[in-house]
Amino acid sequence: MKPHGMLPHLASPTIVAVALLYFAGVVAISIWSARRTRTAQDFFVAGHGIGLVALTVASVSTSVSGFAFIGGPGLVYSIGLGAIYIVLPASLTNVLGAWVLAKRMRLLGEVRGLMTVPDAIGARYRSRGAQGVAGVAILIAIVGYMATNCLAMGYVIDAIFGTGIGWGIWTGMGITLAYSVAGGILAGIYNDVFQGMLMALASALVFGYVLSVNGGMSGISHAIMPAFPKFLGPWGTMTPIAALSFFFVFSMGSLGQPQGVHKYYMLKDPRQLKWYPLLKTVGLILVLLLFFGVGVGVKALVASGRMAPLASPDAATPSFLLGFTPVVLAALVFSGVAAATMSAINSFINIGAAVVTHDIPVALGRKVGNELYWGRVSTLVIAVIAAFVAQYSGTMVAFLGVFGWGLFGSTLVPALAFGLNWEGATRQGAIGSMITGLLVTLVFETLAFFKVYSFPAGIAISGLSLVLSILVFFAASWLTRASAAGQLDADVRIVMES
Amino acid sequence: MSVGSSATKRLALATIVISTLAIGAAYASAFGRGGVPAWAGWMFAAGVTGALVATLALGAMRRDRGLGRLVGPFALMTAMLGAGFVAVFALPDSGAAEPLLLGLPRRAAIVLYGIGLLPTLVLPVAYALTFDDQTLRPEDLERVLETARAARAARDDEAAP
Repeated sequence: MKPHGMLPHLASPTIVAVALLYFAGVVAISIWSARRTRTAQDFFVAGHGIGLVALTVASVSTSVSGFAFIGGPGLVYSIGLGAIYIVLPASLTNVLGAWVLAKRMRLLGEVRGLMTVPDAIGARYRSRGAQGVAGVAILIAIVGYMATNCLAMGYVIDAIFGTGIGWGIWTGMGITLAYSVAGGILAGIYNDVFQGMLMALASALVFGYVLSVNGGMSGISHAIMPAFPKFLGPWGTMTPIAALSFFFVFSMGSLGQPQGVHKYYMLKDPRQLKWYPLLKTVGLILVLLLFFGVGVGVKALVASGRMAPLASPDAATPSFLLGFTPVVLAALVFSGVAAATMSAINSFINIGAAVVTHDIPVALGRKVGNELYWGRVSTLVIAVIAAFVAQYSGTMVAFLGVFGWGLFGSTLVPALAFGLNWEGATRQGAIGSMITGLLVTLVFETLAFFKVYSFPAGIAISGLSLVLSILVFFAASWLTRASAAGQLDADVRIVMES
Repeated sequence: MSVGSSATKRLALATIVISTLAIGAAYASAFGRGGVPAWAGWMFAAGVTGALVATLALGAMRRDRGLGRLVGPFALMTAMLGAGFVAVFALPDSGAAEPLLLGLPRRAAIVLYGIGLLPTLVLPVAYALTFDDQTLRPEDLERVLETARAARAARDDEAAP
């Protein structure tokens, strides 16, 4: 296979045809959704009207993005079992989110008509300042996430259609924009449902092929262990602290990811939360089978000499699919990867547009007149900026993408997750923790990127930043504890006590 | 808030702070000259287990009854994560000779099945089974909906010319 961008060139009539069918499905769903989007509430929180199954599947789809299908298996192939600590918390994060945030955010949405994550922070601390800081932090993190996903989308579309990376970015962004501007989050949700179901099916089938080709898990282990003894060790080729940092950041940090947390507002009936964690966990595990399976399966094939060592770890999934599965399944996965990046972009554009048209004006004491109209305009502007950043900022895109998850975690987890569950939290603690998370992440990621200063091996900036922001949150809340009771409105207290 | 649940909440908050400090100490040890000491991994694992379970408990506890029937599942969860990490650290590294468990080298199997998959059978199931009496009781929902109706009425009054 000839390398093409970061991925091998995939174009074949079957793959192109399946991809075109896939995109036609996306367009059809978007047109249907656009007809049902009439208000800002419809645009940003799907009118609080999404059912349990749709929300669950959409949430699974948003949680994984293209990384789970390309970058993740590549990382497992490179560093072994240590990479699994990124997805290992999946059995805990959904129930964690459900207990800590889902009920309270859904009920706060009911009482206050909230639309955004910073809305919840503003309501909790009766503070426009806290809402504004949360909005700014989200906007900064979104730039990174969006640009990285735009670039990934460009690579995948280029690999399928041979468009070139630049045209790949703009073609994918055009399709994403069409449904984001027209149908807002409603289009995103129903496209995510469509994509999520296909991703779960494709992932389970690919995992089956991995086991079949390698003679089961035992066959994989027997092939890898003599050649790469560390690979299937409990930390892979990483140190224990580095692997456990993944576990910490991707478990606790999940409570600060607005693309997931924001969806709690959308559930039609709060009582439907009952089965949400179980259904989402099962769905997520199904989708993540490919992450683990392809990573170890390809390593086993390389170890046994049935596949040449990969030129790039990101080629693990394409190489396995093209070499060992039917072309239709390969086509489905490739389309799913493109769709997953679009889904992530849609979600982030929507959240970013809400920050620009709602949270920042609220923080400044203003109100935008027609939020639906300006939401659509902001969606367009943010998308164009992200596509330009992706296309023209070179290696800076990788830098921006590195800290997205960590920045969300360290800025939002203490103020949101602990704050909604502890009456003693104060706005000084919330704002202090958000600023700490923002500064520590930005300063040390920048210093590391420009090779000015790096932490010793094993220390994750995102992990340390989360630790510091949690400690600042508790310390500042304790120091200002006398003001805590006065910062809690009666209706918010009722929600917190329910 | 009942005395018992207040104490449980304080315990959960204290556990979160202590666990976070433990993780911070593990990170701090990596700045030493001799590299990361062996205890740092243990401390990090204990910290992350404590922080996670205490955060779960903080979200799950109720003002009037604390954790109620969830004490069992939370204790089981703590034991599963704790025992999993202890086993991973304590079992010897036998390299290519490590015995297989369910198709994976023993310590990898503990990580993947014990820490990764088994919790699915405990907490999400406990959440669903206790939802109606622990997480969202009908009377609580009605109280919130009543508050929401009052808030909407107040907003409508404000918006009226």
